[in-house]
Amino acid sequence: MRDILYRYAIFCAIILCMSFGSVAFAEDTGVFDVNAFGTLERPVSQFDHDAHMEYPEIDEDCSVCHHVYEDGKLVEGESSEDQACSDCHTIKAQGSQPGLRTAYHDQCKGCHIDMKKGPVACGECHVR
Amino acid sequence: MQDIYLLVSGPLAWAAWAIFLFGSIYKIWKTLDTAKKKEQVLFSYVSLKYGLRSIINWSIPFNTVNMRLNPALTAISFFFHIAFFVLLLFVSAHQVMLGEGFGISWFTIPDTLANILAFGVLGACIFFAARRLTVPEVKYVTDWTDFALLILVVAPFVTGILAYYQIGNYMLMIILHMLFAEAVLVAIPFTRLSHMLLAPLTRAYIGSEFGMVRNVKDW
Repeated sequence: MRDILYRYAIFCAIILCMSFGSVAFAEDTGVFDVNAFGTLERPVSQFDHDAHMEYPEIDEDCSVCHHVYEDGKLVEGESSEDQACSDCHTIKAQGSQPGLRTAYHDQCKGCHIDMKKGPVACGECHVR
Repeated sequence: MQDIYLLVSGPLAWAAWAIFLFGSIYKIWKTLDTAKKKEQVLFSYVSLKYGLRSIINWSIPFNTVNMRLNPALTAISFFFHIAFFVLLLFVSAHQVMLGEGFGISWFTIPDTLANILAFGVLGACIFFAARRLTVPEVKYVTDWTDFALLILVVAPFVTGILAYYQIGNYMLMIILHMLFAEAVLVAIPFTRLSHMLLAPLTRAYIGSEFGMVRNVKDW
């Protein structure tokens, strides 16, 4: 019995070192401005801006993604590509305006689901 | 792959939770109904006071004689059950899905802690399997279904860890992770995992008989 306990303790110790190590050596790559989040829990999302602009559904119309909302309503034809997402979307949601993380997730995944292509699962964007 | 992911994380998840919920209600009702038909007398011995007293005392680590006789099993069992629910409820990825699906979320644990707990759960399951293979009195009452259940229970954790570290095909791992978790949910009312539902009933009855009839503690 004691033998099994010792082996279990050693096993746990090795796993502990491994998980701490993996966090310590995680690196930051990506193009989104994610400074507003502070410490990140997952790797920054991979995103190819140029490729997205070329898609026929977007066709270089910035406002498809860089939207402007006023009083909870989408303002047609206005775009906000000169602003950072975090200029409007605070970490916490404000009324009907989603928080920053939800805004990113909804913006990407919502469109991918509508288009029936593109990543939707966590690790498809947050690639290690 | 997107279709399968959306199916598994949407309709199948709803189905699994529904089967778990209604299956659990059925299982508890069925157990009480069987007791009523076969041993009506059981009910006259059930007392809320002694039943709760027993449940509370058996919920405190190392509080019972039997727990103190098996310290490794006690520590690992308590760790396993606590880690199981902490991971289910407080992993940040689960919270993100809850938040985006239903607009509700609560306290989350850091991924580092989640990792430690998840690997700990793997270790605990290895311990449970080793115990079934080596401890004579446990080995005697063990058959292949015990190992099948143990594998089913550990499967969401193995695939969860592989998905987290993105080892192997990520989409396959995350889909299997959700499928296995849904299989565990569905299995709870219909297998020995039903101890989750029935243990309080057993405890309450034994606690009542020991407390009310024999006037002794059952821990």
